Amino acid sequence: MKLRTSKFFFREGFRSLRRNKTMSAASITSVIASLLVIGIFYLIMLNIDYAATVLESQIEMRAYLTEGLSDNIIKSISQEVDAISGVKDVLFVSKAEALKQLEKDWGDNAYLLEGLDGENPLPDTLVITLEDPNKASGVALAVSSISNIDKVLYGKDELAKLLKATYIIRMSSLVIILILLFISVFIIANTIKLTVYARRREIGIMKFVGATDWFVRGPFVIEGILLGLLGGLIATTILGFGYHYCAGLIRQQMVGFMSIALMPFGEIIVSLLGLLTLVGIVIGAVGSLISVRRFIKV
Amino acid sequence: MIEFVNVGKTFPDGQQVLNNINLYIERGEFVFLVGSSGAGKSTMIKLILKETEPSAGKIIIDNKDITKYRRRDIPYLRRSIGVVFQDFRLLHEKTVYENIAFAMEVIEAPPKEIRRQVPMVLSMVGLSKKASLYPQQLSGGEQQRVSLARAMVNGPSILIADEPTGNLDPDMSWDIMKILTEINQRGTTILMATHDSEIVNKMKKRVVAIENGTISRDEKRGGYCCET
Ligand SMILES: Nc1ncnc2c1ncn2[C@@H]1O[C@H](COP(=O)(O)OP(=O)(O)OP(=O)(O)O)[C@@H](O)[C@H]1O
Ligand SMILES: [Mg+2]
Repeated sequence: MKLRTSKFFFREGFRSLRRNKTMSAASITSVIASLLVIGIFYLIMLNIDYAATVLESQIEMRAYLTEGLSDNIIKSISQEVDAISGVKDVLFVSKAEALKQLEKDWGDNAYLLEGLDGENPLPDTLVITLEDPNKASGVALAVSSISNIDKVLYGKDELAKLLKATYIIRMSSLVIILILLFISVFIIANTIKLTVYARRREIGIMKFVGATDWFVRGPFVIEGILLGLLGGLIATTILGFGYHYCAGLIRQQMVGFMSIALMPFGEIIVSLLGLLTLVGIVIGAVGSLISVRRFIKV
Repeated sequence: MIEFVNVGKTFPDGQQVLNNINLYIERGEFVFLVGSSGAGKSTMIKLILKETEPSAGKIIIDNKDITKYRRRDIPYLRRSIGVVFQDFRLLHEKTVYENIAFAMEVIEAPPKEIRRQVPMVLSMVGLSKKASLYPQQLSGGEQQRVSLARAMVNGPSILIADEPTGNLDPDMSWDIMKILTEINQRGTTILMATHDSEIVNKMKKRVVAIENGTISRDEKRGGYCCET
């Protein structure tokens, strides 16, 4: 495309935006509304994903060792476990350390342990962290087949539930986002149709002096893109501030799990900006293409 | 230059407007197209511009059968034909100069050529002094001259005018006819549909009359109506 052609498109696109201020404002408002809803679902999806990853990474596997093994044997077992694919890290916790940890965890109730009369019923343990919680059952099988390993424990059912829940939430958010995209294109096509209608005389003139279809579409596509871009930027700003504010509130109200699982503002704002402006531009362009279609057939 | 061969046109609602039209217009001719309202004059013009398709026959422009043209060829056909309408079809938010330049911009003409051509056609229609005015600041005759300038700015070999004087008083109409005559003398083929009997009678040009869907009369130096 020639430089002066794109200049012409931008000049006419901007001019039309300015000329139809009310219509442009209406377009942008509908873009913003759609993008806000899309953005909210996107944020929910991001945070569910994030929370799931955090939770998944906290899932550990515990392998109990048989009684009275020497340090050397424990070391070689530990190395053997470490070599299994899907294992991220292996930590040895001796029975003495395990008891101490238990006393600490129980706090005020630790006196109950006094009934043990100095005997330690806890086994030596290997604490295994996993690379991918989906592979937990395979890793468990491999670990339990190593000699001198008494028992392998992990939150099998909880893990399965978590994986299923995140999958369902991811998929339904995706479906909702797709439906909203479709609706947004429709809304924008309808609003731009008004500006196209207002300029049907101009389109008619362009057609009878011999402008190509692409040339006629050009300014409208630019106009649609500008509307979408503007809507995307405004929607990102609103959602960004909103998220920042809500995340602050949630962190104040709740401690522990929720605050860890909320994605930090800095991480969401870039992908949100990218997504919403891109989506804005695409629905703007597609919307205007759809609305010019009827008037271009002369 | 323009040729209709056995052209028929029936609209989807079943109304047959044109039936077996055969017409040959040579390069450089000046032809009046007359006939009562609804006779099919505008339809013939739309067929030449490929705004509508014939139901039968073929139309040949500049030795090319335009009925065979595809959609993407249409803009190039229209660039070789200038058109003027009864209602001027100017853009109100653009100045006289911009309205004419617009016709060149949208076919991606180089700016240098635009700066050269626009003043030239403006002086041809005698509106050099009004270049920066808006159409609403001009009289009807002047507006029609702007639309004539726009039709000629890309140097078409054919000029088609659909009742160009339909909204003008006699004085203004004669201004337009003078300019059309000049354009014709420089070699442009002109086809003008009109109801203006005085103009047709005084101009003494070829007259093609349409009646009941066919050509009822085709005279070299004819008048508006037959028995005069
Ligand atoms: N798109 C269409 N669909 C159906 N009928 C049409 C269509 N366009 C024109 N017609 C019919 O075709 C006939 C000829 O119309 P046309 O506009 O060619 O007449 P005309 O000779 O230009 O008349 P006028 O002198 O009033 O301008 C009219 O009866 C009109 O109703
Ligand atoms: Mg007509």
